[in-house]
Amino acid sequence: MSDTFSYLLMAWLDPGLLGLTALGVIAGIYIGAIPGLSVTMAVSILISFTFSWEINNALALMVGIYVGGVYGGSRTAILLNIPGAPSAVTTAFDGYPLAQKGEAGKAIGLSTVMSVIGGLIGVVVLAATAPHLADLALKFAPRDYFLIAAMGLLLVSSLSGKSLARGIFSVALGATIGLVGMDMVTAQPRLTMGSMELLGGIHYVVVMIGLFGVAEAFYQLHNMAKVPVKQNVDKIVPPLNMVLKFLPLSLRTSIIGVVVGALPGTGGDIASLFAYDHAKRTVKNPEVPFGEGAYEGLVAPETANNAAVGGAYVPMLTLGMPGDAVTAVIIGALVIHGLNPGPMLMIETPYIFWFTVGNLALANIFLLIFGLTGIKLFSKIVEVPKAIMIPLILVLCVVGTYSLNSSMTEVYWMLGFGILGYWLKMFGFQMGPIILGVILGPLLDQSYRQAMSSVGDSSVDFLLALVINPLSLVLTSVIVLVLLGNTPLKGWLYSRFKRS
Amino acid sequence: MTKPLFTQLAIAIGSLAVAGSALADYPERNIQGTIQWGAGGATDNVVRSLTPHVEEVLDTTIVLTNRPGGTGVIGMNHVMRQRPDGYNLLFGAENPQLYPLMGLADFTYDDMYPINIIGQGRVVIATHPNSPFDTFAELLEYAHENPDELKMGGTGAGGLPSTIHAMINSVDDLNVRTVTFGGDGPGVTALLGEHIDFMPLSLSAVAEQIRAGRLKGLAVLGSEELEDLPDVPPITDALPGLDSFLPWGPFWGVFVHEDTPDDVKATLEDAYEQAVASDGFQEFLTNFGGESLNLNGEEAQQYLDNWQSVTAWSMFEADAVEKSPEELGIPRP
Amino acid sequence: MTKKIERVRAGEKVFDWLLLLFSAGVLYEAYRIDNGVQLNSAGSFPVGLALIMLVSSIAILFSHRRKQRDPQIRSASQEFKVFLHEHFKTHIVVFSIVSMLYLVAIVWTSFYISTFIFLAAMFIYYRQGKIISSLVIASLAIAIIYMLFTIVFRVYLP
Repeated sequence: MSDTFSYLLMAWLDPGLLGLTALGVIAGIYIGAIPGLSVTMAVSILISFTFSWEINNALALMVGIYVGGVYGGSRTAILLNIPGAPSAVTTAFDGYPLAQKGEAGKAIGLSTVMSVIGGLIGVVVLAATAPHLADLALKFAPRDYFLIAAMGLLLVSSLSGKSLARGIFSVALGATIGLVGMDMVTAQPRLTMGSMELLGGIHYVVVMIGLFGVAEAFYQLHNMAKVPVKQNVDKIVPPLNMVLKFLPLSLRTSIIGVVVGALPGTGGDIASLFAYDHAKRTVKNPEVPFGEGAYEGLVAPETANNAAVGGAYVPMLTLGMPGDAVTAVIIGALVIHGLNPGPMLMIETPYIFWFTVGNLALANIFLLIFGLTGIKLFSKIVEVPKAIMIPLILVLCVVGTYSLNSSMTEVYWMLGFGILGYWLKMFGFQMGPIILGVILGPLLDQSYRQAMSSVGDSSVDFLLALVINPLSLVLTSVIVLVLLGNTPLKGWLYSRFKRS
Repeated sequence: MTKPLFTQLAIAIGSLAVAGSALADYPERNIQGTIQWGAGGATDNVVRSLTPHVEEVLDTTIVLTNRPGGTGVIGMNHVMRQRPDGYNLLFGAENPQLYPLMGLADFTYDDMYPINIIGQGRVVIATHPNSPFDTFAELLEYAHENPDELKMGGTGAGGLPSTIHAMINSVDDLNVRTVTFGGDGPGVTALLGEHIDFMPLSLSAVAEQIRAGRLKGLAVLGSEELEDLPDVPPITDALPGLDSFLPWGPFWGVFVHEDTPDDVKATLEDAYEQAVASDGFQEFLTNFGGESLNLNGEEAQQYLDNWQSVTAWSMFEADAVEKSPEELGIPRP
Repeated sequence: MTKKIERVRAGEKVFDWLLLLFSAGVLYEAYRIDNGVQLNSAGSFPVGLALIMLVSSIAILFSHRRKQRDPQIRSASQEFKVFLHEHFKTHIVVFSIVSMLYLVAIVWTSFYISTFIFLAAMFIYYRQGKIISSLVIASLAIAIIYMLFTIVFRVYLP
């Protein structure tokens, strides 16, 4: 027990580790904020860089970057409507309207505090339930991932604004974009139109940068005359009563975040989408409608994606299996440093587990400190004249896309998506459903085909499997309930229920 | 702990400065390294742990970029289109040797120059501990009696499991359902959750799971037991006919453009030979479950040709591919 | 409740027809993957998605019946003029063309040179002069990108 305690506090008491964690968090915030620079990439670079370091130092820096990076994506989402990372897409839905009202400072302040709350809940769940949560995560069969993806598609109704037909079109378009490239099973090219560059598919960050960043730049050009909103930067730290008010919501969305994060096939991007939808369904009377600057719409995704960090460490530390792309790279780092990540890691080197838990908590504290400083300066970005901002946004989008895979072709695609996004936006289409499709399309396709192959391509057995396995039955029921809830049937059921 | 760290940093920065100024010959600037596979995968791990040793020998920085996708076609295509000056390296796995056969691309490693064949992975056929089978022979027997019932994890056409499946089918008949995953990792996760019955995997992906008793090995792809996996029988116990294909394994290598100047090729070959042989890397490779090869020049070419002919023909004989290797000029083993 | 009848924007109908056409194109490409429709193969999802796109774009076209045209637009040529006026203002066209030139220039000059020229040109154009301060801001931006990407994150830029 005392050992556990000393491992937990290791990062807190050693000045070197403290410094590295802090450095990681700061670097992470900037990496996360720049679209195209990803935490995965930064951690990969660090592997060669920290090769000769002691393992604890390397891990501390990586944990810092991971925590800072997941949070950092919200910065540009709020300020410029360009999510720095896919997990911050939903943050832009309400964060950007807030910035347009002159409340960028407040929005960043609130998202910082909520990220830290989400992050800490993630750490607590990791510390308390890791082995059990990992066993639960393993129970998810391909058909269950299929159901999760299908459930995610239902979010289209909360993301598509006024016209559902346009929303459904956008999801299908996004999913089609997500499927471009070589087929996973047969290695056939799909929808590549003979291009070799497209064999590897269109990276969803390319789509995201185009649809949000470039389309936004063009959209802004359209309203060139509009003067940027003066930002109110007096109240940055959210008052306690505000934090308390959102606490129940943030607890629920954090749990969503940890569980979705712990599933090896899903990560923070999907977690934040589910959390946003959850907020929209459960918060009946937000002060401001969702999509127009509701604080709830900021709280939900920000808690969920930071809680997903703790979740992603669950299968990694207990089983040696990655929870997402970042933990996959961290597993690589452990291997290179001579450790054997696997189920024996917790038994043979328990200190790694407790050290990581303590270090994650520490990183979240640093996040609170660094996240809340410098907001005033950041908020001023919104006030930069458009004449300067718009060309800069384009350059940022180009650099960001290029650094993803060092491919100029992807930069051209990015610009193409930007122009497409501009027209879609002009004619009443929303960007959210497209990104939803891009993220969920491949998961849906893969898991469907895995599930079908598992039952020998029999569609009867496939449908049967969705209801006879307890876990699948739960997920199926949720989908059915949500579908019913969206139809007039709900009113009828409700009245029957009331009468009896 | 603080002090050594800052010393390390200082040394790192210092060495960077030296690398930037003093040298006139190759390499006089940073080298770009392209990894054919994504971050966190086996190729990525091998390359990232080898690179610091090479940087030490060459006294320069190798900037590594992952360019995954298209079973490695994208990364390889990129490097082949760069200037042949030795400043663009390709780090790849075995897959390009089968591109023309699979119809993925019309080039192979024959169109590049092998600097070093670093090593090869070993292959285990694994199952979950609740499985009724203890050896591959038992599984094979069950599969003969109940065709198309067992679920095998795969990683798609051209992936390791599909190649092993083809090898088995060229000497026997293993009729199973193939469930395709995005890579070794998701496959192992599905195996741990008992959603599939077995999967051929690289040892590095499963060694720890087997050691912890979360998975069990049915067979190793080889004609002898492995030291690190006692009690897992060699696959030749169940299928003696496979002996002619062995030894076989997925491999990792470093390649440059064919037209790179000879002195640059020689410098690189020398650097990689030293780096692969270094104690630090050898220790990693053993720990990782790989087998060191450290081949270059004629030997490397021979290894590549042999691998290609063995694999291509076994796939053809198992009807896993339509094109005949003969059409593509791949000699019979 | 007073229901406001939504206006059709200039060019919206044409755009929605284009989407229908695009969906049909995707359906054709998707069908070619398997040359048929199967339940579990490479083509099953693309075909399904293309069908969804097709159906929803038809639904979108139908929804136009409930919308009204701007009463001031009476003929197609007039609509075209409004469309041009709305979306092809000089500064938007200039930005689009210069951006494309910039992307092409990256390949045959280099990233830093073309970015500097692009930024400086756009700043000067949009700010109507102010040449010196525009050049200073452009250099500053380049310096920051160089620091962040080339030095710190070691991203290789063309």
